[in-house]
Amino acid sequence: MSSSSDLDRQIEQLKRCEPLKESEVKALCLKAMEILVEESNVQRVDAPVTICGDIHGQFYDMKELFKVGGDCPKTNYLFLGDFVDRGFYSVETFLLLLALKVRYPDRITLIRGNHESRQITQVYGFYDECLRKYGSVNVWRYCTDIFDYLSLSALIENKIFSVHGGLSPAISTLDQIRTIDRKQEVPHDGAMCDLLWSDPEDIVDNWGLSPRGAGYLFGGSVVTSFNHSNNIDYICRAHQLVMEGYKWMFNNQIVTVWSAPNYCYRCGNVAAILELDGNLNKQFRVFEAAPQESRGTPAKKPAPDYFL
Amino acid sequence: MMELEVDENDLKAAGAELFVDGGRRGIRINGWVIETRRHSILNSSTLQEWEQNLDTSHLPEMVFGENTLILKHLSSGTNIHFNAFDALRGWKQEALPPVEVPAAAKWKFRSKPSQQVILDYDYTFTTPYCGSGTMEIDKDPNEGERETSKETSDIHWEDCKDQIDVVALASKEPILFYDEVVLYEDELADNGVSLLTVKVRVMPSSWFLLLQFWLRVDGVLIRLRETRMHCVFGGNTNPIILRESCWRESTFQDLSAKGHPFDSGAYGDPSFISQKLPIIMHKTQKLVISS
Repeated sequence: MSSSSDLDRQIEQLKRCEPLKESEVKALCLKAMEILVEESNVQRVDAPVTICGDIHGQFYDMKELFKVGGDCPKTNYLFLGDFVDRGFYSVETFLLLLALKVRYPDRITLIRGNHESRQITQVYGFYDECLRKYGSVNVWRYCTDIFDYLSLSALIENKIFSVHGGLSPAISTLDQIRTIDRKQEVPHDGAMCDLLWSDPEDIVDNWGLSPRGAGYLFGGSVVTSFNHSNNIDYICRAHQLVMEGYKWMFNNQIVTVWSAPNYCYRCGNVAAILELDGNLNKQFRVFEAAPQESRGTPAKKPAPDYFL
Repeated sequence: MMELEVDENDLKAAGAELFVDGGRRGIRINGWVIETRRHSILNSSTLQEWEQNLDTSHLPEMVFGENTLILKHLSSGTNIHFNAFDALRGWKQEALPPVEVPAAAKWKFRSKPSQQVILDYDYTFTTPYCGSGTMEIDKDPNEGERETSKETSDIHWEDCKDQIDVVALASKEPILFYDEVVLYEDELADNGVSLLTVKVRVMPSSWFLLLQFWLRVDGVLIRLRETRMHCVFGGNTNPIILRESCWRESTFQDLSAKGHPFDSGAYGDPSFISQKLPIIMHKTQKLVISS
């Protein structure tokens, strides 16, 4: 059992982008599990709150986010998933967020993204990173077990619905989300899959099927109907790269928030977080990637590649 | 980005000069100006313009619309260049049928919401693009942005049986200029990767470039379309550029049957598997530059 002072030391260590020992990760995950198991699939969040989109292992850019939004617990945070994969520091990113969750459980809410998955992390980076940094897959196992306990969505002051991906034709009410058994690997189809994977689509008015043959697309009528049925002002979601950091759709009924600046370390995009004050007034705080000198490692020089 | 370290003596010996100017960087050598430009992805409003101009409702998530590689042969006005817009025009024209992901088999049995629409564009963004070419009447090397035009309308590539001299390219001649430019990328909504890049290296004796389209649909398909161009600096004779285009492709099932991994994580980039993919199409052409 971790004491507060142990946790504070671990948080300070993680803020320096130094990973914890494997035994500390195991203990942290056990503690996190005890907290997360009590949360609802539609976790209630009080305002004021700052909503953050995808991070994708870009640790130093997440530190920039905390500079802009303020430190937890002074700022109350809601992160919409996809903490891991693609960036270089998924381990430090996820463990810092998890440690903050354990230390300040009522001041940070983490919901699940489609990358919080065993299958996805084996392809897109987190698995390989754990193996490289710890020499075994135990930390990956501890973390992916925790993924199964993350909430599926959040409801802010009963007025703003937050989810990683979007809506599902199997869900028209929040109570239907509450009945899902979430403690499992993200399934390939069904309501839980849709919440983490679906996308809004301008050229569709109701439901569309992606040309991949899997993956729902939803249009403005679907959002209108869902928001009206559940007395929601709007939906805040993440999941898709937005060059300007955030993007409204369907007459401001849904907004995408993206929080990984200079995505994949080359896109040059800005990122955003959405600050809601006590009266749910909105302010988007837009920020750029952390400057080179604040990153731990020097910039890679392009090797003279004798490609053929 | 830090600059590639180049030995000044090598540059002098080759009579070459590097330059950096804003977002442009490049080299002047043997009558050529070779430059790259790298910028951010397109913003939403420009993306919408491109969607209109290309008559499509979808483009790759990351379109590096201002990125380019340009190779100008000064005395002839020949201009070979690579850009995302022309590549996407090629994608739109070819319009391959969409590739189904593994989960599609299950989704066929899901109960369908009423009024479901099935989108059917080629979300892999596969393109037959081999580069763009123009012949400039105005030979001013300092001219600004140029209009792009179809390669076939201005430059004549003729089929040939020559082959790029891989042995010469494998020798470790000093690299005076090197760059890699991303033209577009899409994560296929976390079902794989589609990536179009062009790499160039300039040596004292020649320049060589590789335009590579790399597709992985997780658990389904790996596809590579590559175009290589090689130009040996010829002193007083007219330059000849060789262009080799190659299309390689395999399903995961076929790769697995040959003993290669079925796991998508094993194919983070094409280098591991590229030579083992069966060739679907291969063609060599040459461009003879007259001054």
